[in-house]
Amino acid sequence: MIQRIKLHLLVLAALIISACSQKPKSIRIAVAMPLTGDMGTEGQGVKRAVMLAIEEANASGEFSLPLEARALDDRADPKEAVSVANMIASDPSVIAVIGHYNSGCSIPASQVYARANIPMISPASTNPKLTSQQEEPSWTLPKCIFRVVPTDDVQGSFAAEFVRGKLKFNQVAVIHDKSPYGQGLAEQFHDSFIKNGGQVISFDGIAIGERDFRALLTRIKGAKPEGVYFGGLYMEASLIIKQARELGLKAPFFSGDGSKTDELIKVAGGAVEGSYFSITGIPVEHLPSAKPFLEKYNQKYPGSSVKPFDHFGYEATQIILTALKQTGADRAKLTEAIRSMRHEGVLGVTEFDQKGDTKNKIITMTQVKNGEFVIVN
Amino acid sequence: MSPIVQPATRNGAPGASGAANSASGRNPQLLMFLEQLFNALVLGSIYSLIALGYTLVYGILMMINFAHSEVLMAGAFVGLGVSILITPHLSGWLAMALILLASMAGAGFLGFIIERLAYRPLRRAARLAPLISAIGVSIMITNAVFLWVSKTTLPFPKLMNDRVMRLGFFEASSLQILIFCTAIILLTCLEWLVRRTMIGKAIRACADDLGAASLMGINTDRMIAITFVIGGMLAGAAGVLNGMYYGSIKYNLGFLPGVKAFAAAVLGGIGNITGAVLGGFILGFLEVMAAGYLPNGNQWKDVFAFMVLIGVLLLRPSGILGERIAEKV
Repeated sequence: MIQRIKLHLLVLAALIISACSQKPKSIRIAVAMPLTGDMGTEGQGVKRAVMLAIEEANASGEFSLPLEARALDDRADPKEAVSVANMIASDPSVIAVIGHYNSGCSIPASQVYARANIPMISPASTNPKLTSQQEEPSWTLPKCIFRVVPTDDVQGSFAAEFVRGKLKFNQVAVIHDKSPYGQGLAEQFHDSFIKNGGQVISFDGIAIGERDFRALLTRIKGAKPEGVYFGGLYMEASLIIKQARELGLKAPFFSGDGSKTDELIKVAGGAVEGSYFSITGIPVEHLPSAKPFLEKYNQKYPGSSVKPFDHFGYEATQIILTALKQTGADRAKLTEAIRSMRHEGVLGVTEFDQKGDTKNKIITMTQVKNGEFVIVN
Repeated sequence: MSPIVQPATRNGAPGASGAANSASGRNPQLLMFLEQLFNALVLGSIYSLIALGYTLVYGILMMINFAHSEVLMAGAFVGLGVSILITPHLSGWLAMALILLASMAGAGFLGFIIERLAYRPLRRAARLAPLISAIGVSIMITNAVFLWVSKTTLPFPKLMNDRVMRLGFFEASSLQILIFCTAIILLTCLEWLVRRTMIGKAIRACADDLGAASLMGINTDRMIAITFVIGGMLAGAAGVLNGMYYGSIKYNLGFLPGVKAFAAAVLGGIGNITGAVLGGFILGFLEVMAAGYLPNGNQWKDVFAFMVLIGVLLLRPSGILGERIAEKV
């Protein structure tokens, strides 16, 4: 009997010891993106790109522990984003985060990551506040927030200069979706357009998820703008463009990277023809440095097309992996390595400024012609 | 009216109205008002169709059918499914009619099933029980569509070629005219059904007094089921019209119009058919006018519309056409 109890104790002790001394068996990179819902296709694309980069890293044999991606769905919802961020922060095997997609999600989630000192690189969020919040005097947390996309102030003024300088429009109407991304972009456009001597004849907010913009568009039509600028995402953009054309408002439409998706063309159909969309960086198919990435991507994921932010996601992962090689799996050291890095990859040369923004600030203007986005600048 | 365009400030004050110059020779302000009025009529007609479903059920059961907005959404998805099936073979009016009828049938059937499974067993339960059951059904249907049908927005096909048409001297899209006419036809049919047929008479009797109607030999259970079917059919039609109007549908599309139509039904006097239609048009009118004319109105249109709603209810707690001792339907 005593023998048996002893045996039990022994087994128990062995279990406890093994549980305590358990070392992480893998290193994880978290991917926090909208994976379902209307923005789900874009998030899934970034996830595919990150998985590709991690698979390559594992195959290279340069890392002592196997690497893993941990993908979590923020549903493009700020509340969900914060709870996802908390899950990530409490997972000790996660060394860095790629995410989030929407600025409205990235900003609240970034504070959770900063508290845990996990480096975060957003491949898509463009609201300046995401990184500039780290410069504020009240920010006492580690500065571990980075992004590889140019911000809205760059994109908004680029679009304004295009509309004012190249198309010579004098009067435009501006609409935004009241989100940190949409409103931020629209305000930048608004300010820059006025600075360039143009007139903004109306500046209106709509709600995300709203579907009827006819009253607003009828009013805008009455004001006869030469163009209409929209800061927001593709669902609202497609409805606005469609309804405007139905009401006989023929002025060209302008919008930003959040609207430029294939789904836009699917939903809005012919109505979107001739509209302009500014995008961050250079479209991946026109980027010479992204050629190997594209080939590998298409080989690994036949049948799924590259989404607009996939190469940013891939590059963000490469930056984390390069830093990981230098420092090993330590969150704080990784942050320092990323900050001082000069990385040459898919996007060309990426370096981060004081705030954590990329110094690579290229914006491209595209226009829909025959159902496809064509570069026009 | 000043011809000079006022630059807008960021926080609203659109100088929009001043910019319209009189290209057509007519008063552009009046023209725009007429266009906005037509926007309001189309929106109001869709709200009315949905509001009727709430009011019919409330009239008989004194119960708010919170699953009604999901019936609307399901109707839109049935419409999309049927249109995918038939568009290779058919187009134009015939296709449109078929899709409308199919989704009305589908949504009517769904209304019937919901009543049979979720409400009828609770007929003698406490008043809150069917309400909670309704919320449960609503969540179930939304999630079923989300998980099994589509997680993202689906484009709804264009059934008709859309043109900008000149109606007299203002412009409207042919789509708006089509939707408005369809809604008016359906509203007329309902009016005829309720006022001029035996079924309508029985429904009205049930609404007056369920117990007395039962004593007079009316099969009240069947009448309640028929009411749910009628409400479902109207919601199904509204779902298709909604899909056509916005060109896309999604699993949660029922929620917002559902809430607004419910508000419209309350505004008109819940339980009162004319009231529901009136409430629908008033709500559509308030929203469109707020978005069209208030400074920075689009952001405030719902606030404005619901403020008016609260104001009306403070003055007339039973709604515009509601009576305190209700002659409900």
